[in-house]
Amino acid sequence: MAYSSERSQEARRGFLDPRTKLALVLILALFVMGGLGGEALRSIKTVLSALPFALLLVERQGKRFLRGVLMLAVGYGLLFALPYLPGVLNFIALMCGGILTRFVVTVVMGEYLIASTSVSEFISAMERLHMPQAVTIPMSVMFRLFPTIGAEWRSIRRAMRMRGIHLGGAKGTQVLEYQLVPMMTSTVRIGEELSASALTRGLGGPVRRTNICRIGFRAQDCVLLAGCLFVIAVWILEICGVALW
Amino acid sequence: MVELKHVSFRYGLGESNSEQASSLSDVSLTVRDGEFVLLTGPSGCGKTTILRLINGLIPHFYPGVVEGSVTVDGQSVQERELYETAAQVGTVFQNPRSQFYNVDTTGELAFGCENRGLPEREIYERIDGTVARFRLEKLMDRNIFRLSDGEKQKIACASVDVSGAEIILLDEPSANLDFEATLALRELIRLWRRQGKTIIAAEHRIAYLWDLIDRAVILRDGRTIRELSGKEKDTLTGETLAVMGLRSTMQEAPDQIQLPTIKEGDREIILRDFRFTYPGAGHPVFDFPELRLAAGEITAITGSNGAGKTSFLSCLCGLEKRCQGSLELDGKRYDRKARQKLCFMVMQDTGNQLFTESVLDEVLISLPKGTANEKARAVEILKQLDLGGLLERHPQSLSGGQKQRLAIACALASGRKLLLLDEPTSGLDYAHMMETAGLLRQLQGMGATVLVVTHDSELIRACCSRRLSFSPQYTGRNNK
Repeated sequence: MAYSSERSQEARRGFLDPRTKLALVLILALFVMGGLGGEALRSIKTVLSALPFALLLVERQGKRFLRGVLMLAVGYGLLFALPYLPGVLNFIALMCGGILTRFVVTVVMGEYLIASTSVSEFISAMERLHMPQAVTIPMSVMFRLFPTIGAEWRSIRRAMRMRGIHLGGAKGTQVLEYQLVPMMTSTVRIGEELSASALTRGLGGPVRRTNICRIGFRAQDCVLLAGCLFVIAVWILEICGVALW
Repeated sequence: MVELKHVSFRYGLGESNSEQASSLSDVSLTVRDGEFVLLTGPSGCGKTTILRLINGLIPHFYPGVVEGSVTVDGQSVQERELYETAAQVGTVFQNPRSQFYNVDTTGELAFGCENRGLPEREIYERIDGTVARFRLEKLMDRNIFRLSDGEKQKIACASVDVSGAEIILLDEPSANLDFEATLALRELIRLWRRQGKTIIAAEHRIAYLWDLIDRAVILRDGRTIRELSGKEKDTLTGETLAVMGLRSTMQEAPDQIQLPTIKEGDREIILRDFRFTYPGAGHPVFDFPELRLAAGEITAITGSNGAGKTSFLSCLCGLEKRCQGSLELDGKRYDRKARQKLCFMVMQDTGNQLFTESVLDEVLISLPKGTANEKARAVEILKQLDLGGLLERHPQSLSGGQKQRLAIACALASGRKLLLLDEPTSGLDYAHMMETAGLLRQLQGMGATVLVVTHDSELIRACCSRRLSFSPQYTGRNNK
């Protein structure tokens, strides 16, 4: 059968609209990571924390799911072990445990956003939010650069191992600097080449862009967005001193 | 029609990219509709600059002073906006890693049309048409980061094709490609030829397009020095080409060059249980129960992209925990850890393996601890490699060839006996390729064993004395 790009785009459509994902990242960052809201939101936060993990399962991102669960388990494990740890160790465990339990959930949500959203879906979503091109284009380049930075990073680490520069060696203190210099040079170069290539393909023109990717709100988006509104509503009521339960 | 009339150009301030920033003086060029013109000449001759003038990146992206006029179908490129030129002129760039805006292949093909706001239906139809003509079904809906360089370059050509540009610019598209991928690129160009597209290519590797072109324009130091068309270009001899700084026009598969892997009387390097499997793959990409290589020689490692040649080098360097084989040299056995101190790899992206703030520091950190007169020794090595005048330069500001020599200086300083190079001549002109060949022979003269992964038949002819083939029948893949 001949290839049909339209059919394949339909088949590739993500479970959620990118805008829903952005809203969820924001809510998690504010309430779970930022610790906004008091007693009334406690049980809601538990539900919120489970959300990114559920979404990773829906999109069959088993590896990311397991990594997230592991990090969270380590975090709670450390906090649980606190009473049995002496002096300095106790302090380190408290710090690590605190950071992990607070940050992991939101980081996992961010990872989910990046892993499950293509550049074109992202641009498309930003346009529907009426973001100006001056915001959308740099953000989409950043989106595109994440995997590149990862690849460059791995290549530099290998080169260092090959040349025998290790953490903890005689020159250990300088390792970070050694990594950053080639990293920045190559990222800047790649960024420049990317921009040149995108410009020769007409990015930045005054016309309204088309987007062939499929996005748009469906039932699951509505449920989750309503959930977000609900969280905000509870929080406002709490601030106003209305006791809900 | 593309027309350059008495064009001179100098890159403006802030153009630090010294390697490619070569100016033009008084260049005139007319390319008629449907013509295929090759621009060639030594590095820095200005061929990339000409392409940038035609697609409008000069002066809109790379600023500078333009004299004379550049027009596409009678319209001035300088006066028009970039996005207007984009509808007519499509460009395939040299580096397959940095010309994609999307992460997925299908989105990438649609990108140019989406930017112009074409209706969705039409974009779908165009993509499907290109996919059918270029036979890209297998590459669709894939993550671009997981494609080989050859496949990436195919996608780059396809996205130009989808955009429907009538004028196609190719900026060294074959620099990172192996022999087969280069042939595949040639086929795509032939398709465009048949459709009557106007094609302008800037290339060092001219062999794969030599018989397809209408005309070759040879440049040097920003000036046109010769134009060859029709019969003229077929009667060129190897010497004339070399004088003009050009590569060979004869295409030769590196796998067909007859060289032994090892000869009677060679000192031997014996590899045992060398096998490597990519994470998640069922079969090893190579599997050598026992492999003998010649010590003190220059061995070319050939084979197509994805045959595992680069992984082989990593395994030799002891960078792959999955490869637990051993290496024997002069009666000594080296396990994975020990090999990390025996082998030095000059990577394809040399900039990623230089870390310090000056050329001298770079060599100093490579010297073994407790070397007497560290500084004098480092300077001596740098002088041997013709880098004596650049001691205080920042490694990242060096040219590609200089970076390569600096990496080799580090290898010499670290006293490692086995030197591995990954595609040292991709994108190099004739003179620089010969320079690298000379350098490899110099290293051999100093007693090093050199293994070089390469697609470059001319480099093999110029300096290699042994060859190891990475075709499946030799690497143990299809044995069982």
